[in-house]
Amino acid sequence: MRVMNTPRSMDLEITTHCNLRCAYCSHFSSAGDVTKELSTDEWLQFFGELQRCRVMDVCLQGGEPLLRPDFQELVKGIVQNRMRFSILTNGTLLTEDLASFLASTGRCNSIQVSIDGSSPEPHDAFRGKGTFELALRGLRTALDARLPATVRVTIHRRNVGDLQRLARLLLEDLNIPEFSTNAASHFGLCRKNADLVQLTVRERSQAMATLLELSRKYNGRISAMAGPLAEAYRWLALEQALAQGVDRFPNGGFLTGCGGSFSKLGVRADGTIVPCTQLSAMELGRINRDDLQEVWLRHPELNRFRGRSSIPLSDFPLCRGCKFINYCTGNCPALAESLLCDPYHPSPDVCYKRFLEAGGEPPVTDALWDESDPDAAARQVEL
Amino acid sequence: MQGAKKPIANSLLVLREEFDDWAILFDPDSGTGVGLNPVSVFIWKRLDGDHTQEEIHRELQEHFESVPEDAGEHVAEFIEELVRRGFAGYEVERG
Repeated sequence: MRVMNTPRSMDLEITTHCNLRCAYCSHFSSAGDVTKELSTDEWLQFFGELQRCRVMDVCLQGGEPLLRPDFQELVKGIVQNRMRFSILTNGTLLTEDLASFLASTGRCNSIQVSIDGSSPEPHDAFRGKGTFELALRGLRTALDARLPATVRVTIHRRNVGDLQRLARLLLEDLNIPEFSTNAASHFGLCRKNADLVQLTVRERSQAMATLLELSRKYNGRISAMAGPLAEAYRWLALEQALAQGVDRFPNGGFLTGCGGSFSKLGVRADGTIVPCTQLSAMELGRINRDDLQEVWLRHPELNRFRGRSSIPLSDFPLCRGCKFINYCTGNCPALAESLLCDPYHPSPDVCYKRFLEAGGEPPVTDALWDESDPDAAARQVEL
Repeated sequence: MQGAKKPIANSLLVLREEFDDWAILFDPDSGTGVGLNPVSVFIWKRLDGDHTQEEIHRELQEHFESVPEDAGEHVAEFIEELVRRGFAGYEVERG
């Protein structure tokens, strides 16, 4: 198991506060929803350690990161410590002055604004009245400042029928280069609002079909690491591999889903180091108290977690007898933790076999990759 | 004479050593990274304004086994490439 000397990047929840309460927010009611926040000086001290560790970039998130009154000071600290940054924001607080400041640093990799609909109804349904106009204004402000703005669309029951219009708004009217999608997943507040927000099997099938069509129409300008589009690509690859008699994918048959712990770590708003901000209950240490490189290289729980890639899927009753087992990676460990309190288990939510058993329709499309390239399908699964 | 000059690395760049002595030379302003092999890392660490190219070449011969005869030329080319990209320079002599 090869591990770098230090993490390449860090996900930093610089605040636990937010001006919104989205019904499917992964932060609130999670272990990352803490009461204590770090001071400016504590973050700046930590940025110094990140520089010594040669961390290349940080992702500022929350809560809503722009809510911190010292936000610009923190960004200056990141720049002074020779790192780049990206921001995950609801967009509602982005002013022209702030956008201009961020652009002036020259270090912003991306600013991702959450937009869930082409009009107020699907967006505001779970984010709050009036938030669509504010988020759209924030996105336009970022674009006007020539920031590398991107959009994340979280797909839920109220916007699954709006995806064509939303793609037109983002990719044609606003002409952003691309946007990404995921789905309201079993984290944070979504756990108690699941029936309201999470897609049914039928809606999930609908979302996959629509997104595959849109992805082709817009020539790959729609991407996904999770959610219906990512599942459609993965599951198409499984079907294709099975049909072609491929023995196994290089990473298939073991709990290899997500290699994040080999390249980055997360920090909660209270300074607790975690493997991922979605695995916020797995506490590895505290910043400015514990040596980051020591935690990274030698923390027993982190190394055990990295070792999950050696656990065969055949160990789990969920997977035994599954015809897709040699192509499957077990998917997101954080989702398995959230659903089963066990990150050393395949995620049942992203299980193709269960999806089909529940009446889900297999994704269908023309070949998305070169069939003469035997590794192409496997690469889709590795996404 | 170039070999007698003392090259110095651009201090704004970040050398990220990964594993097996390989590294990424990262420019935070542009976001670009360049992969360096162990020999390049060895040279980069000596671009401190105290070593001449000739001294770096000599240390390279002492540190590594089977160093080819024309290694000095490669060291010079590598340093010049770094200078061309703005990754390194030469200290300006005080008049």
